[in-house]
Amino acid sequence: MNPIITIALLTLREAVRRRLVAACAAITIGLVGLSAWGFDRLSHNHSITSGEVSVAIPQALILFMFMFSFVVALSASAMASPAISGEVESGVLQAIVARPIRRSELLLGKWLGLATVLLAYSAVVSGLEVGVVDWVSGFVPPNPLVFAAFLFAEGVILLTLTLLLSTRLSAIATGVVAIAMFGAAWLGGVVGSLGAAFNIASLRTIGQVARYLLPTDGLWHGAIYYLEPHSFVAERLSEASQSSANPFFAQAPPTWTYLVWVGVWFLVVLAAGLVSFERREL
Amino acid sequence: MSLSRSADSIGIDREAGSPAPAIVESKTDSPVSPAVYTNELRKDFRGTTALRGLSMSVGRGEVFGFLGPNGAGKTTAVKLLLGLVRPSGGEAMVLGAPAGDRETRRRIGYLPELFRFQSWLTATEVLALHWRLLQLPKAAMRSAIADSLRTVGLGERSGDKVGTFSKGMQQRLGLAVALLGEPELVILDEPTSALDPVGRHDVRAIIRSVRDRGAAVFLNTHLLEEAEHVCDRVCVIDRGRSIATGTLADLLGGTSSVRLKVAGLEVGWWTDLGLAHFVLDGDWLLAERIQPGQIPELVAAIVARGGLIDAVIPEHQTLEERFLELLAEP
Repeated sequence: MNPIITIALLTLREAVRRRLVAACAAITIGLVGLSAWGFDRLSHNHSITSGEVSVAIPQALILFMFMFSFVVALSASAMASPAISGEVESGVLQAIVARPIRRSELLLGKWLGLATVLLAYSAVVSGLEVGVVDWVSGFVPPNPLVFAAFLFAEGVILLTLTLLLSTRLSAIATGVVAIAMFGAAWLGGVVGSLGAAFNIASLRTIGQVARYLLPTDGLWHGAIYYLEPHSFVAERLSEASQSSANPFFAQAPPTWTYLVWVGVWFLVVLAAGLVSFERREL
Repeated sequence: MSLSRSADSIGIDREAGSPAPAIVESKTDSPVSPAVYTNELRKDFRGTTALRGLSMSVGRGEVFGFLGPNGAGKTTAVKLLLGLVRPSGGEAMVLGAPAGDRETRRRIGYLPELFRFQSWLTATEVLALHWRLLQLPKAAMRSAIADSLRTVGLGERSGDKVGTFSKGMQQRLGLAVALLGEPELVILDEPTSALDPVGRHDVRAIIRSVRDRGAAVFLNTHLLEEAEHVCDRVCVIDRGRSIATGTLADLLGGTSSVRLKVAGLEVGWWTDLGLAHFVLDGDWLLAERIQPGQIPELVAAIVARGGLIDAVIPEHQTLEERFLELLAEP
């Protein structure tokens, strides 16, 4: 068996044996159940008009999905933080690396295993939440599959960055830095939105730079767009320009140029992780 | 043979019968290439020098003890041999290939000093993982793993999670991992640090069995008793440099003492004798630093002077005594 597959299967087995999968499943089912109750209350509330409901439900779905995107990001960071440095510190990795396996194969195997967990989680949580909202309210977002793909991509970006950090920093430092960077990127996006809304060039630039430096927020906005019905987008755009300051609204999908940049960013960071691990002394 | 200091330690290797560097320098993995060969191997870590030019050679089918106090550079040397760290200078060859060569690692078993395995796997699963990483035939895996676990005394715990194992059991598992696939070189870094006396005895038997099938064992230890029991040759390192290399006889045979019980002579009869440094110890006379070949001469001298010899007990220096002596030398 290819060593990459061997390590990926080992990583998946670890996620199952350490009850990461069970914990995620339990908390997700709980949250989805809670959201079902909330969406049911919202869609069957006679004190608000059907027009208001048609606006509120997509907005509420985006908020719920933001929470799940946060779970994806935290999971990516928490799983990847100890993946290299934690195992170096504990001594588990030395016995593996002494085998006829390239370090690049070890890192790619771990990446593949963790990315598979993120893919499964993104697919399941998107499917469950969209299904529940459809069931209780009849609302189906325009493109839930592309949304799930963007959610997964956001997780993969943070996973890849965390693995790179994990080749050099301690497990705790890696986790803290990765989450701080994720938060900063999100805040950068908010600042950029405010800049756009109030036409402040410097703030707009900060937002743009943040989205290029760490594309998690850019991908999150891509994900949002595919949850918004076209009528919802048109209505928001016709409102005051301040609506674009809303961090839970995307007026356009990411450009192809941006997506190519995300691909390049991913490859560069992954390659940096491989080189860094190759050079690390164990 | 007297024991040499670092500069000519390779000379001792040659005399002791280890492979000559001329063969080593071919750098091909012929059956005569040494299991391990290093020449002036050096390692610096950000301003600290862990190894200052280590030269040694380990033959095939040899149990080689690598001795030194804590912090001498033993584990650094092992990591260099496995390619876990890169050398700052010098040369290191393992089984005829440059140290760290990926394909050669297939023929090396390694028990790290810090032995930790995936706590959420069973003992069998840990070995299966290493079997797959070694890319050995799947058909033979089950029986090989069962044999390995039996060899290290874990046959009845094969299905238990590693997380439930004591430290000693984890070290036994580490030994099973190191022996998997019958490697040509087994590198054991402090293999009995967590074991009880029974476990240590078992490990010695395992090391001998590895040697008996023709593999080399590189035993990194600070437990001199362990080295005394199983090693064919040893290398003593201190502060990153080899200070002595040779067989145990080389190391210990150079100096010894003899305990004598002599009657019929006045105290002080030995003052003009030479041969040794004499110390009176109750009824006994201790002849220290005597060469082994001079013991008959000493006995003859006593008899010639009219002494009656009740007892002559040769006392060999222990490895520990020699080790401390070596470390104390400037």
